[in-house]
Amino acid sequence: MIETFYDVLRRQGITRRSFLKFCSLTATSLGLGAAAAPRIAHALESKPRTPVVWLHGLECTCCTESFIRSAHPLTKDVILSMLSLDYDDTLMAAAGHQAEAILKEVKEKYKGQYILAVEGNPPLNEDGMYCFQGGRPFVEKLKEMAADCKAIIAWGSCASWGCVQAAKPNPTRATPVHKVITDKPVIKVPGCPPIPEVMTAVVTYMLSFERMPTLDRMGRPAMFYGQRIHDKCYRRPHFDAGQFAETWDDEGARKGYCLYKMGCKGPTTYNACSTVRWNEGVSFPIQSGHGCIGCSEDGFWDKGSFYSRVTDIKQFGIEANADKVGATAAAVVGAGIAAHAAVTALARARNKTGIDVKQGEQ
Amino acid sequence: MNPACHTENPRHLLAATFTRIAATRMAGLPVVNPALAVAVPAMEAWQGEWVGVLVTPWAVNLAILPGPGGRFRPIEVGGAQWWELPSGRYEFLGNREDGLGHYQSCSLLSPAFELSTQADAEDFALTAFDALLAAPPPASASAEGARLGGGSAISQPVSRRDFLRGGLFGGGR
Repeated sequence: MIETFYDVLRRQGITRRSFLKFCSLTATSLGLGAAAAPRIAHALESKPRTPVVWLHGLECTCCTESFIRSAHPLTKDVILSMLSLDYDDTLMAAAGHQAEAILKEVKEKYKGQYILAVEGNPPLNEDGMYCFQGGRPFVEKLKEMAADCKAIIAWGSCASWGCVQAAKPNPTRATPVHKVITDKPVIKVPGCPPIPEVMTAVVTYMLSFERMPTLDRMGRPAMFYGQRIHDKCYRRPHFDAGQFAETWDDEGARKGYCLYKMGCKGPTTYNACSTVRWNEGVSFPIQSGHGCIGCSEDGFWDKGSFYSRVTDIKQFGIEANADKVGATAAAVVGAGIAAHAAVTALARARNKTGIDVKQGEQ
Repeated sequence: MNPACHTENPRHLLAATFTRIAATRMAGLPVVNPALAVAVPAMEAWQGEWVGVLVTPWAVNLAILPGPGGRFRPIEVGGAQWWELPSGRYEFLGNREDGLGHYQSCSLLSPAFELSTQADAEDFALTAFDALLAAPPPASASAEGARLGGGSAISQPVSRRDFLRGGLFGGGR
């Protein structure tokens, strides 16, 4: 008999009522609407369980720390106990040979079916000696586990872009996952760390629907990375009216003026912080009085001080726009296409977290 | 009636206010697209409030200013008001400016470097504005489609809210 997610969940003592509540919470966080909740429930009840193997390369574990603090306690319970983190250095009870045996078992038993979540990245210099696990370089372990996985989730900026360990001059040649594993689909969930709700939504989406969420051209889930911090920032009216804090303790700072002149990277950073926010939706950096440091953007450590104003915003913009999701930027060049761009912009304005994403699930 | 409401179309007042902002607080900032100028290509009365679209060299925003309708809430930055416009629900953020009073805006585009000429910018703004006030296909289209196709309208997903508003029978929204 096949074991479903629902079976595992009931075994963990989670009631059916809680299970259904989890399904509707997930549908909401994915922006799929109420109609999707029964579909998620049905999928988790009837489909065989998909194991998730979670590897750690060069990283600081902030992704895991973020993940285990997903807003709703139920989400946390269900994800952690039910969604089968068969292997996660930080969270599993197993150790030593027993732990390594799990990897082997998953690789054989679920060949081509398991999801490989990678936190951190492999350093390639000196044959990978800068990150050593279980007696061998991490890059070997990564390649071995990637060979039989269905898809890879690259957690955080480390796995997605390289992050601080890949900052110039990158002595260990820390390399993002998609540049090491080129024959598997890689879903990037950047951020340092990513927003917990985004992480649980992505993993639940993949487990429920057995497919990848709609990705932008940079490989990020469009539903959460479709808009910039700036697009949905609550301080945006101050920006639009030219009201800026000029120093950290001036009248403007006290009044909560826009932090653009203090180095805020909101106008060039694609993430959902200004809508989903952090700590159960309580706040996010700008709300706490500090500009966005752009932690979910490629190479953010090498783009100058966190406190220096974005001066080459045009260049920045074009770079960011390379990944535009059927959206404004590239299209508006010709006047004839302005109509499409305008309607897309309007749809984005309506949408709380991102672009008007068609997930094909509604 | 809201004492701060505009009885005349505040289109020129809005444009003049932001032209002043462009020449002072925003002058010389790298987010400013020098090819663009402040303009309000459209602003009209909608259910007693003034709805329009504002083009600036750093952003294109939808704007709502208070008319005699009485629904406009004079909110400061940090506050938001949801508006049911013909094309959907939009969250507008509040602000206040000397000489203009309270206004609310909803971002369409910022920064505005993708718009290479003023004509492009106004074209973009007007198209968005027209789409804003154009009614979408009826919400019950899927249910109606199922019924016409010989299926049951009831088999279509109906939210509790739609049901209470009569959505099951093709009404509501």
